[in-house]
Amino acid sequence: MHRKILWALAITAVALLAGACATPTPETIVEQVVVTEIVEVEGESTTVEVEVTTVPGRCAPTDLADVETIQIGATAPLSAPGSVTGGLVMQAAFRIAEDEINEAGGVLGKPLNMILNDTEGLPERGTAVMERLITQDCVTAIVGEYHSAVGLTMKEVANKYHVPIVFAETYNDDITGVGYPEVFRIAPTSTFTAQMDGKWLSEVGDFNGDGEMFVVIVAENTGYGTGQVEKADLWFPEYGLTHETFFADLPTQDFSSVVTRINALDTVPDAILIKVTGETSYNLQQQLYEGGIDISKTIVVANQVALNHDEFWQNVPDGAFAVVPRIGPWASSATETGLAFAEAYRARMGRFPEAYAFEAYDSLHIMADAINRAGSLDPDAIIAALEATDFVGAAGTYTFPYGSGNTPEDAGVPAFMWHQWPEVPLLFLQYTEAGQHSDDLEVIWPATYRTSDGAIIRP
Amino acid sequence: MLIFDQCIESISYLATLLTNGLIMGIIYALMALGLTLIFSVLGIVNFSHGELYMIGGFVAFFLLDAFEGLNPILAILSAGLATFVIGAIFERLFLRPMHQGKVQRTGEYAILVTFGFAFFLQYLSLAIIGPFPFKASRFVDLAIKPLFGVIRVFQTRVVAAAIALILIAILLWFIQRTWTGRGLRAVSQDKDAAAVTGINPLRMNNFAFGLGAALAGMSGAVLVQVFSWTFNVGIPAASKSYVVIVLGGMGSIPGALLGGLILGAVESLGTGCFPDPSRGLAYQSAFGLVIFALVLLIRPQGLFGRKL
Repeated sequence: MHRKILWALAITAVALLAGACATPTPETIVEQVVVTEIVEVEGESTTVEVEVTTVPGRCAPTDLADVETIQIGATAPLSAPGSVTGGLVMQAAFRIAEDEINEAGGVLGKPLNMILNDTEGLPERGTAVMERLITQDCVTAIVGEYHSAVGLTMKEVANKYHVPIVFAETYNDDITGVGYPEVFRIAPTSTFTAQMDGKWLSEVGDFNGDGEMFVVIVAENTGYGTGQVEKADLWFPEYGLTHETFFADLPTQDFSSVVTRINALDTVPDAILIKVTGETSYNLQQQLYEGGIDISKTIVVANQVALNHDEFWQNVPDGAFAVVPRIGPWASSATETGLAFAEAYRARMGRFPEAYAFEAYDSLHIMADAINRAGSLDPDAIIAALEATDFVGAAGTYTFPYGSGNTPEDAGVPAFMWHQWPEVPLLFLQYTEAGQHSDDLEVIWPATYRTSDGAIIRP
Repeated sequence: MLIFDQCIESISYLATLLTNGLIMGIIYALMALGLTLIFSVLGIVNFSHGELYMIGGFVAFFLLDAFEGLNPILAILSAGLATFVIGAIFERLFLRPMHQGKVQRTGEYAILVTFGFAFFLQYLSLAIIGPFPFKASRFVDLAIKPLFGVIRVFQTRVVAAAIALILIAILLWFIQRTWTGRGLRAVSQDKDAAAVTGINPLRMNNFAFGLGAALAGMSGAVLVQVFSWTFNVGIPAASKSYVVIVLGGMGSIPGALLGGLILGAVESLGTGCFPDPSRGLAYQSAFGLVIFALVLLIRPQGLFGRKL
């Protein structure tokens, strides 16, 4: 009997030593509960500690003394079918922000390590990437993402593991509309952008003078496109607009049948809104012109990629008088920080930053600022600090006025205003001649930023 | 409502859809020809077909961009030459062992090696060229008035289809009227019998693969003035090509032509006449896949293919 007990104790000791000497594995513990169990063996007592995981899988350290670097996860689409253009832009912006943060001393005095993962523009990949960042890479917080469809699944994982996240370029209202404490957003919502179109078009009025204000929307069959259309369905009637919608899958190349349908409509549209992203928008826009859309009767509103003028004129040579929505600051409206970022970005990418570049850059800075103000890696402290954000970024001054202390319901604003930056700059710009540099675009709306004579410039 | 009203009430609407569909169909036929030629001679499906199409487009674009005033025909032929060389080298290194009996499971091997080549070309292009879209200037600046006053066509596509028809005609002449073309036909019918008559099947395989790659590259070169070109532009092109060759009969050149026309017309009429205008375009690819499935079920050898 004596020998068996000695063997049991020896094996236990060896096991404990082996565990202590093994390669440290990420801790899976958020809270510890100590249970003392007394085992009496011939006058000796053994206390056994049992640690209980309350958020299984999350491995981010909460004690600053335990870390050498602060890990923040970032996501973007870096391969098809996601928008690789968008992903690479965000990657460049993230790297600029990471370098700046580290040059300024890092986060909480420790170097920042941004771990960028590819979501491929696929919701299921977004979920997998989040799981890996949180349970294997042990990130303290997460920023980024381009595609709304991916953001919708990512927010669920952030909520599941209680990890703060700042979304950069995801528009779908539901991302903040569900009111998860962990989720913040600096991109505009689909409603913001839907109202933007309606507000501007109502100011333009009946462009072709046929007595109706009628709009055609060609939207991609994704969370972004369907979100845009849902909001148009909701808001356009408020501004006296009627509309017809055509959906397309990415990456459709041939839009001839849609162009034929538009030409066959009983009412000539006053505007065609292109709610399709990336290079697909170029195909659609050029085919609209080639297919006979008359720009003296119909305004063509391009996707924001059209602000890359070299690319735009190469792919859409007939795009004169195209209107381009601009989310985020433009050359004439950026902050000092924004202009400095634009210079750094132009050195890397050769052009003025896209809106999602500003958003990616600012999202990482905002998160770093929040962690610094929290003084801790505890997610609740970071979330509280994010709610109290008052940060001058590249795109403007960031605040999140609606949160746990002032809910959207109490304030009488829509649910998606939860943890939403309300002052996103939303502009309409217009090309007025072929080959024009995008820095020279006229700002036609809103009136506060306008450089033209009216809300539209006619050919 | 089973069909969009305009399709019944307006002949001009229907005619516009059909005309544009047939124009696209000619382009699809050119895209698929290389694939069917390779299958006919080598007996394999080239899963890097889309990427060779992509490479051809880029070669033409960069030549036209670098040399102002370069004749687009020269750019197209150069793209064909470049992809011919790529295809011939690939066949010599990776597919010839298959035909020399050095590979045991040739079917699986061919699929894996051509898929691997596809990924290699795609990501090599991404690394060198980047993800940004490019487009060549219009080859010809034509002002095409609506046909019969009502049928609007797309100028760049008309030019592309015209060039495609010329290339198809040259290919048919080559296959039917030249010794090399007859050699290709002989090998496609019976390798051993062709060898007995003095035709080297391995050399014909190499030439066929190179020629198939060249056709893919030239179709890309023709279309780089029509569509925006990115490193993954070959993916939808390849999937349409598979539908065309299954529909027309794998290994049949006339079948590829007819299959392309049918696919183009079905896609255009399907999307244009779909009762819900908001959804018609979203199902564009589905129409092709429905044809694909029906052909496999009802007539798996296709319209002109040999019975399985």
